[in-house]
Amino acid sequence: MLDLLLHPQNLDLVYFCTLGTGFSLLVSFLPALHIYNVLGIFLVMVLGFENVMTGMQLVALSTGMIVGYSILNTVPATYFGPGDESLSYYILPSAQWVSLGRGYESVILTGMGSVGGLIALALAAPLFLWIMPGLKSITAPHIFWILGAVIAYMLLSEWPKGISQSPSTWANFWEGWKFLLIGLATFFLTGLLGFIVMAKTMVPLEFAFQSITPVFVGLFAIPWLITNIINIGTIPHQHECKDVDLDWELFFRGVFGGFLGGFFAAYVPIVTAGVGGLMAGHATAQRDSRLFVMSYGTCKTVYYVGSFLLFFIPGLSLTRGGLAWIVTPMIATLTLKDYAIFVGLMLYATGLSFLLLGPFTRACIRLVETVDYHVVSVVALIGTILLIYGYTGWGGMAIMAVATGLGLLPVMFQARRMNLMGVLLLPVAVNMAGYGNYVIRFLGLV
Amino acid sequence: MKGFTHFISGIAVASFFPQAVHMASQEQSFILCLGGIFGIMPDTLDFKFARYFHTSEFEVKPDPKNLDAHQIASVVAQSIEKANKEGRSTVQLHTMQLGSNLWQSYTLGFDSKTSEVVVEIGPLVDTGQTPFLGTEPKEKATARVKVSCSFFQEFDKKSNIAIMSGPCFEFIKRGENQVEIVFLPWHRTWSHSATLGLVTALLVGIISYLTVAEGPNPELYSIPRWMLYPLIIFFGSMVHIIEDSTGFMGNNLFYPFTADRTKGLGFMSAAEAIPNFLFVWTSVVAILFNLDRFRWAPESFPPGIPSTESFLFWFWVLPVAVMLYFFLRGKNEKEQRRQGEGRPAGRPGAVDFDGPGEAERESDPSII
Repeated sequence: MLDLLLHPQNLDLVYFCTLGTGFSLLVSFLPALHIYNVLGIFLVMVLGFENVMTGMQLVALSTGMIVGYSILNTVPATYFGPGDESLSYYILPSAQWVSLGRGYESVILTGMGSVGGLIALALAAPLFLWIMPGLKSITAPHIFWILGAVIAYMLLSEWPKGISQSPSTWANFWEGWKFLLIGLATFFLTGLLGFIVMAKTMVPLEFAFQSITPVFVGLFAIPWLITNIINIGTIPHQHECKDVDLDWELFFRGVFGGFLGGFFAAYVPIVTAGVGGLMAGHATAQRDSRLFVMSYGTCKTVYYVGSFLLFFIPGLSLTRGGLAWIVTPMIATLTLKDYAIFVGLMLYATGLSFLLLGPFTRACIRLVETVDYHVVSVVALIGTILLIYGYTGWGGMAIMAVATGLGLLPVMFQARRMNLMGVLLLPVAVNMAGYGNYVIRFLGLV
Repeated sequence: MKGFTHFISGIAVASFFPQAVHMASQEQSFILCLGGIFGIMPDTLDFKFARYFHTSEFEVKPDPKNLDAHQIASVVAQSIEKANKEGRSTVQLHTMQLGSNLWQSYTLGFDSKTSEVVVEIGPLVDTGQTPFLGTEPKEKATARVKVSCSFFQEFDKKSNIAIMSGPCFEFIKRGENQVEIVFLPWHRTWSHSATLGLVTALLVGIISYLTVAEGPNPELYSIPRWMLYPLIIFFGSMVHIIEDSTGFMGNNLFYPFTADRTKGLGFMSAAEAIPNFLFVWTSVVAILFNLDRFRWAPESFPPGIPSTESFLFWFWVLPVAVMLYFFLRGKNEKEQRRQGEGRPAGRPGAVDFDGPGEAERESDPSII
């Protein structure tokens, strides 16, 4: 593989992969932004370059970006706020570590999980050639009910909260159930928003492929930034640990559980790392907070990169994840050699990104320790809103405002943020089952 | 077992019905999800409904401003004494919330060797149960209250009472001067009975018989379509009960004909990782195997699994062997540790007061 990668003919790919990793560093630093959105905008700006950039060069650039982003995004997500649901699943336990001055340790643990996940993905790459055609053929007619099962489990596995100390049975019942009802309301309202956005976009036509961006920014990023501005006083001094408390057994358990969740999320459309991680965490009965944080690193990395890797399996035509859809028009055919090159580039970008993780985390810590955290959050909020306005106009702003209101529901009532994924899960599951048109007609959207 | 284990096992059970698989692939039916929904239903009924309607005669509501371990232990001891006299008694222990993310923890144990109720006030913890070390109270922090009878419980573990709602215990007189301690008496009773599964299936069966028409190609199937729904519901809920029976707590299988939970087989604890994953993995393999063998028009579409033997060997026998190896190794190591501590083999010893991590018992539904 090294011969293949270092062949002079392929060295330009290494160059583009390095460039992509560096670019991911910049993208990761922009709080609350998702790589797919940024890459989409980037392609809008550079699509004119397609004459000077080959398909594989774009792949190398994208590989560097997605691998770098999947490892490095932990840092700004930990200190500034998550950009999507996959990150917000991790951010709550991570915020706890930050409040104890252990944010650096949390980031490094997540990074180790990410590296473990990508090595596991590289080791599994030859097996995928054997397994994936069969898996695809078995599951292809069944994806819609698998999504239905994911939704059912998400909703059924949220348990009541509350301390149940009232002498009145019904008061205790209501105390527990109000959290569940908020969760259900969040899921179905975001699902409704999803139907509307998918049927009638208010975003300018040239940015129609970005129509979901204001929704995600409103659901996940802005509520987080608002919470930061309202709640957080000062970040305590962050300890830069020299080692982490982890043994090999815990490492392998974390990577194993995270890999399962990430692979499930990568393979089943619309399912994200947060949902996959929740299910894998329950399937493997995870309880240790170190295990959770590290396993999450594996899960989100395998989700982001794995969905891109599936695209390269020759003869499979499995397009999963935003990045695969973005590069599809520029890739005509895929061979075993392309697959091997992708795996090589992925491992190269993994090493490079992990080396950048420590300095990047220290830089972020220095920033939040020197600059007032409120100022950082306010700047991030204004920047995010301006960016959405710039690319999606008033239509996008309107969608973002509605999504922000919904995104604040779980924050205010301590329900699961994962219910916000109803925005994609519900309309896609209903559409795949063939009932989408009925719903759209019922809503008067056609 | 974890909720996810029950959920996916329910789907696996549903996938054994060829007509259900055909309905899913050919008619965009969500019928296979029904198995999953009823797989998790018994716990849903308990933790979302039954717990709220259970009342206790004794309540422990400690005052965080005047913490006294002896007071807590005394109320529990009173409840045991009442059970010894009158047959049954229940006690509900409450948590102490000090702030939106701050709780006062304490533990409750039953030392069967000395017939003492043992309470220890622990540190402050956050909602993630991370302790703030050094916040343990200096006075009245531990107490042991002796009761006049002996007691026993199926699995001797110290309960950590810290966040959300606290646990409930029932004490039941069993023989002369002996009381059984039952953890969460409202859990795994009527909701985890074959009776409820049967009654639900009968009701659904009547409705589906009246409303569900026969589908296409009925000659392909041995049972009519209407019968699928009650069967999937019944077997989905039964697989939950069977899985739970492998643990310690057991179920009340024939409620209301039987009054109490029967003991579990004690093979594994509900929160253990490997047994949970064993069931999940077996279910995933069963689902894939069934979806493939019951694919529509098998003569026109090649199978996703070319060789059944090879599939079962590589994807089930081998992973299960690896899981069993690690599970038995872990069990042996625990057994050796117990023997090193002079406890009898095969059953847990008295409460482990020095190892809260290992001895902790949860009332959290996501763990049970």
